[in-house]
Amino acid sequence: MSTTFLGYERPDGQIGVRNHVAIISVMENVNSVVKAIAAAVDGTIAIPTLFVRGQLGDDYETTMASLAGLATNPNVAGVVVIGLEPVTTGELVARILPAGKPVEAVNVQLCGGSIEAIAMGTRYAARMVRDASRQFRVEAPISRLIVGVECGGSDTTSGLASNPAIGAVADRVVAAGGMVVISETSEFLGAEHLFADRAPDPVVRQKFIDAVTALERNVLAQGVDLRGSNPSKDNIRGGLTTIEEKALGAMSKAGTTPLVGVLGYGEKPEIPGMHFMATPAPAVESLTALAAGGCQIILFSTGVGNPIGSMVSTTIKVTGNRNTAKGMADNIDFDVSAILEDGEAIAAAGTRLFDYTRSVANGELTTSEILDTRETSISRFGLSM
Amino acid sequence: MMRAIVLIPGDNVATLIDPGSAGEDVRLAGNASGTVTLSTDIPYGHKLAIATIAAGDEIRKYGQSIGLATADIGLGEHVHVHNVESLRGRGDRQ
Repeated sequence: MSTTFLGYERPDGQIGVRNHVAIISVMENVNSVVKAIAAAVDGTIAIPTLFVRGQLGDDYETTMASLAGLATNPNVAGVVVIGLEPVTTGELVARILPAGKPVEAVNVQLCGGSIEAIAMGTRYAARMVRDASRQFRVEAPISRLIVGVECGGSDTTSGLASNPAIGAVADRVVAAGGMVVISETSEFLGAEHLFADRAPDPVVRQKFIDAVTALERNVLAQGVDLRGSNPSKDNIRGGLTTIEEKALGAMSKAGTTPLVGVLGYGEKPEIPGMHFMATPAPAVESLTALAAGGCQIILFSTGVGNPIGSMVSTTIKVTGNRNTAKGMADNIDFDVSAILEDGEAIAAAGTRLFDYTRSVANGELTTSEILDTRETSISRFGLSM
Repeated sequence: MMRAIVLIPGDNVATLIDPGSAGEDVRLAGNASGTVTLSTDIPYGHKLAIATIAAGDEIRKYGQSIGLATADIGLGEHVHVHNVESLRGRGDRQ
């Protein structure tokens, strides 16, 4: 059946496409403990954090909500939270508990230092992996998928081939009743008028326009030319000339369905359909936000090539550039260069990519999982004090 | 023959999907037909002018403006950051 996939049912009713036990750091000073536990226990993923200590206000809230979002992503079966002290650790645990999945916490100050913390965390993780391995996949409808659409290392083939092919998959997921999230606010500069027109609800439309306007104001206030940052140096080498050109191509990842929601960084969508999430454009920060927003799978378009994937959301690397399909084959999961080389129809490439995406949902591993070219980085929106 | 894709009728640039050298002919595909002779070397994936473009004119791709020409651009010439400026995110102009 092309309308179902096989996934792991979670206590909150969500369906994961992976069965990871996540070892999550709630403070940057205990990342070494997280890495040691993840290295010791097969079946775990390490999620370090770059900050937390000293963060405050909205910046702290975004970080904690994003860490909780990563922990409650349906691809995660259980969580071991590693912290320095019990108050911050307890805050994160309290945010994860409503998902109903197993959570254990270790505080380095309370358990006798980092060696003891590694020992305690390793025992928790080993038990959780054993428990998780008892769970079997069940058939679930495509409507239970939340798919992120992302691009990184774009070039002009992205807008001509890989992005529209991803857009065709997005349309199929939305048609089946699922959710799709497109991110990267700056990559709408010059295309926002077209995307805004896809929002039937004027409130959603305005919220989207406001997000793009706020970003451009920030660039203007800094007195810099966005070009060089976005499009980046490798985008320019790949033939992309301006942010307008990049945005018009990037938007095609979102297919053709109405824009139904606008989300903050790492926020989870709640209604079926196409959503926009306001995130910075660099792929790792955007992937992290999409994973925190509950995406089980991210379709990642690349032109000149980018090996990165999300630690939590299974990431599928798609290229329409024949040179990258060969030259970076180790990091490419799906080749749609036939669109440009052989005149393959976008719809036909979309059907191939949709079938592949279902296979990945069912358990087929992607290059970023196999080679562990994965990273987590929660965006920082405020200063440390 | 080398190929270049024109997305929307009225676009004044095409995207080259083979690397090209000055003097070679390019066959236009997508929403245009005919051939254009390259006046400069152009790398794979970069754009060529398929009409003469005056300094200050809009560069049109996807049926939309993607920036303004900063110099006169001849038919078959490379169109990129050396002769196109963006109108968005230009804090340097404030």
